[in-house]
Amino acid sequence: MARPVLLNSCARAATAAEARFRIGYPLVPSRATRVVALDDVAASAVRAVAGHAWHHSRFYLLGSPDGLHLERVGSGESVPLAPELDGVDAVVMVAGTADGASAAATIGASCTVRGVMTAGLVLDDDETRDALAALRPYARVLMVPADVEDLVELLRAIRA
Amino acid sequence: MLRTEINELLTQTGPGTRMGDLFRRYWMPALLAEELPDDDCAPVRVKILSERLVAFRDSQGRYGLVDEFCAHRGVSLWFGRNEDSGLRCAYHGWKYDYTGQCVEVPSEPETGNFAANVKLRSYPLVKVGDVLWTYLGDPEHQPPLPEWEFVRVPGEQTYTSKRWQECNWLQALEGGIDSSHVTFLHSGNLNTDPLFKGSKGNEYNKNDVKPFFEVAENEGGLLIGARRNAEEGHYYWRVTPWVMPNFTMVPPRGDHPVHGHFWVPIDDENCWVYTFDYHPVRALTTAEVDAMKAGLGVHNENIPGTYRPVANKDNDYLMDRDAQRRGEMYSGIKGIAIQDSSLQESMGPIVDRTKERLVATDAGIIKARQRLRKAALALAEQGTPPPGLAPEHQRIRSASIVLPADQSMLDGVRDAVVARPGVAQTTV
Ligand code: FES
Ligand SMILES: [Fe+2]
Repeated sequence: MARPVLLNSCARAATAAEARFRIGYPLVPSRATRVVALDDVAASAVRAVAGHAWHHSRFYLLGSPDGLHLERVGSGESVPLAPELDGVDAVVMVAGTADGASAAATIGASCTVRGVMTAGLVLDDDETRDALAALRPYARVLMVPADVEDLVELLRAIRA
Repeated sequence: MLRTEINELLTQTGPGTRMGDLFRRYWMPALLAEELPDDDCAPVRVKILSERLVAFRDSQGRYGLVDEFCAHRGVSLWFGRNEDSGLRCAYHGWKYDYTGQCVEVPSEPETGNFAANVKLRSYPLVKVGDVLWTYLGDPEHQPPLPEWEFVRVPGEQTYTSKRWQECNWLQALEGGIDSSHVTFLHSGNLNTDPLFKGSKGNEYNKNDVKPFFEVAENEGGLLIGARRNAEEGHYYWRVTPWVMPNFTMVPPRGDHPVHGHFWVPIDDENCWVYTFDYHPVRALTTAEVDAMKAGLGVHNENIPGTYRPVANKDNDYLMDRDAQRRGEMYSGIKGIAIQDSSLQESMGPIVDRTKERLVATDAGIIKARQRLRKAALALAEQGTPPPGLAPEHQRIRSASIVLPADQSMLDGVRDAVVARPGVAQTTV
């Protein structure tokens, strides 16, 4: 085995003292994230979270049951789905019931085509099980049951 | 990403810290029973949750876990003589029993009560299975003894090893929760390792390298499901339980023994990884135990006479670039345990979580941190006992199972994740 010649030329350098020399640079501030409420139960959760300070996240309700149109939380503006997914890193779908099943399918398929990561949050509700079944095929990651705080936590963690 | 204060909250487990107080509500592995094999055997230094202690087994087989340092002038009692039902300091001969009570001070008159007023801090040390467990908290809150299946099955059905890992407990634990690394880092081991190979599940694993994940709340912690395509209309699920604060299990493969880990803080920059393998309904075979002792499966090879891995920081974990190139080992490092420890130690003793860039597939880690933080704060602020203390939270198993596509993971594995004596694990 070759002998290390410098302190940092072997794994031994992973000390607390050495860690101070890791290159520090400003983090890329944010990731473009889209959060969509798929039903009425989810709408109130998404509205609540939209009020926090976020970087490049946008929050929507369904503009049409098939998910081809979205309504932006805040402005109430109605927008077609496809352009809203341009340049996006992740889409988080939030469901409390199975009402949004066909919208989840549309959004999920659009994300797959574009290579956008999908996540799903299933709110704790009487219809959790149905909501879960509706989301499962389209969300790469599901959190169940989840609440408003989980949504905030997830978005913070991924720097949304 | 975590703010600095939260990273500190979660990673600091010494006395008086909030996460330290949380850990001090649970029974924790302190030693393997093999470390104190006989009455009057050599005492063993134990550092756990940043406290320095010494463990010994007295002439009557009683286990003691006491302050490492003599009350007289602070000498380490590790140098002491373990004889005649007590540990005697090598310096001036003060003698302590297994509860830390000083029973003899040779320089003082025998009739006086000087010794009676000297007592070292001590903690209970109890053998359950192959592990000696301790509880470092307030005696008033001491929970029932551990119920984990790996220490409750008959001795011939279980095997536990341990290794020192040179990093904070949390980044080690997070490796046990993070199912998404398995497809990469450990990809070389499924075909070759005698403790994994040959199961039907391995085929599903290999045929679908982009699993979907489901992070479900469970009473004592989380169930993290990784879902892959199986036969038409079916999914293959691998379900990893995490029980608070530091217990994880790996989903089983075929009839191989089931394994898992305890990630125990030594101090804030080191942890003990206890690695167990057991079969719920049959004895381990000689071949299996030999493979485990040789460091296969999720175990590792230690430097003889120690619990430090042979492949460690000082030798770059015996990195083998040729094996990496040939694709035998994804990272060029041998064995699942050291594949994990090498990468986790390279993050630094306590990784700076303000700099990470997590992605949605890290949801299990995100959720686990959130539950730890909430439990630590609820304990500190309201005195709320944390999850994972109840025996039923500990009667848990990992599972691997094929379910119809429309069946929910939680419904599908409800029975499978409960440890039931005499019932085999659910495995594919
Ligand atoms: S220091 Fe231990 S007896 Fe004096
Ligand atoms: Fe691993």
